[in-house]
Amino acid sequence: MTGLSVLAVDDVPPALADLCRLLADSPEVSAVASAGDALSALRMIQNGRYDAVFLDISMPGLDGLELATLLARLNEPPVIVFVTAYEQHAVAAFGIGAVDYLLKPVRTERLADALARVNRMIPDARPATETPEAMAALPVESDGRTRYVRRTEVHYVEAHGDYVRLHAVSGVHVVRMPISRLEEYWAPAGFVRVHRSFLVALDAVRELRSDSVGGLLAHTDLGDVPVSRRHARDLREKLLSAAKSGELDRR
Amino acid sequence: MAVSVLGMARHIADELKEGLSGAGVRTAARGLRRLLDADFVALADLSGRAVWAPDEPPFYADANALVERVLHSENREGRSPLVAVPLHVDHELAGVLVVAGASRRAAVREAARWVVEVLERGRLEASAEQAAQAELRALRAEISPHFVYNALTVIAALVSSEPDRSRELMLDFADYIRYSLAKHGEYTTVADEFHAIETYLALQRAVLGDRLQVQVRVAPEVLAVALPYLVLQPLVENAVRHGIEPRTGAGHVQVRGEAEGNDCVISVEDDGLGMDPELAEAVLAGRGGTDSVGLANVDRRLRSVYGPWYGLVVETAVGEGTRVVVRIPRFQPGVMPG
Repeated sequence: MTGLSVLAVDDVPPALADLCRLLADSPEVSAVASAGDALSALRMIQNGRYDAVFLDISMPGLDGLELATLLARLNEPPVIVFVTAYEQHAVAAFGIGAVDYLLKPVRTERLADALARVNRMIPDARPATETPEAMAALPVESDGRTRYVRRTEVHYVEAHGDYVRLHAVSGVHVVRMPISRLEEYWAPAGFVRVHRSFLVALDAVRELRSDSVGGLLAHTDLGDVPVSRRHARDLREKLLSAAKSGELDRR
Repeated sequence: MAVSVLGMARHIADELKEGLSGAGVRTAARGLRRLLDADFVALADLSGRAVWAPDEPPFYADANALVERVLHSENREGRSPLVAVPLHVDHELAGVLVVAGASRRAAVREAARWVVEVLERGRLEASAEQAAQAELRALRAEISPHFVYNALTVIAALVSSEPDRSRELMLDFADYIRYSLAKHGEYTTVADEFHAIETYLALQRAVLGDRLQVQVRVAPEVLAVALPYLVLQPLVENAVRHGIEPRTGAGHVQVRGEAEGNDCVISVEDDGLGMDPELAEAVLAGRGGTDSVGLANVDRRLRSVYGPWYGLVVETAVGEGTRVVVRIPRFQPGVMPG
């Protein structure tokens, strides 16, 4: 898969430089161009090919929202991500069809989320994955016998090389499967990747605990699951929306 | 008979809550017609547009002319069986009542008085609500300059030695300011309040270093609970300011949010100097001096939103640390994150 070619547009030079640096440091991005105003950006987009444009909203002359409206009329418009200091613009921004909306100063984790969204918008970026069947129970071997562990009794999953350890009410079971595969199967059922080597069931989380050094733990009845900084926001948002829709019914 | 009259009067009052241009005017006119035993009754607002019950009478052109006359003269016009009387709300003309039929003059006068009283009460309620809203906004916690300068000083100091950390802190600082200045809606969620205090504590950790030990715990089922903006931050600021800053050694601040039946209970605890319980009482009553306005403000805002049962509870003693508990209903009609 080739990386994304992106254009960053901002009229404040240090902000533009910072955004370009963050974009260039992102693994999803292979080429970064920059423009200091909307008109130069428009010229560059007409002459070149960009997968995505990261656009400041408040600029003198033609502003970001106006530029985006113009771009939307192109045959193959680039994906738009707004980057701005004011939350008030969000509604207008999504009205124009922006895929994401970043607040300045930009956080690396948020930029990674935005790039993931951009990637989803670009056809052929990755082959369409079929929804795999949910794997409601997994076979485990113990004492030479095969038994099944139900997904609903698993609180969290820990990666161990090519194996995963399922921390379930009935004990810890080892299954040969990479954690990323299990994540694909179980994500629709409320399992969330919270760390390079951990998945946790949303409804098993009893408490979020953070300490002095900024580390975050998801506490379950079967133990604490570390949450990496990169995944913290995602976990919080998923827990919040599960709480809002009343999906946190206790096991 | 008397009971049904009272019932009708109450019904008319309900329908007129939104005033003479509101949605309930036709129903109110219908009620008045029954009350007066009249053939037709109309209510008009200042635009002169009359709403009739049971429907427009054959002589409605004459009646409309009468309404116009009352709007100019501000006096009673017409003669039985068709009369129009002005409705003066707080000594200002607000509309006209038109009655057609054999109603007694005194009955029409009483009906007009009743409508005026209802309208005056409606206005009073609306302005009381506005005043309460304005007070809530004014009581919003303010950004502490003390904290802002400390945070900026630390970030400036780290720029050259630890650029990545200083960037991270600057981002936290931006979040802190953004949240403190948020103007949208009156209410937020426990999730956002906790995020805000974690940001604040991360910055305070940078300022105070190992002297500040922090533990924050929140149960997922309370994350979506709605509450007024910036209720927790003043409590946490208070814990740091009075629990940690004055001492030489390390101090702990613990924040915890959990569900207790139909309530969400949030506690902020420090193991600092504590205070005389009587002083704590004075602080909550707003007699604690300018240094502790934050606590009293939070207490008043909670009570005005949730009622007298839901203020702050402060558990403290000299040398024993301080624990402040916020108890809010998990579901409260009218309290929605904006």
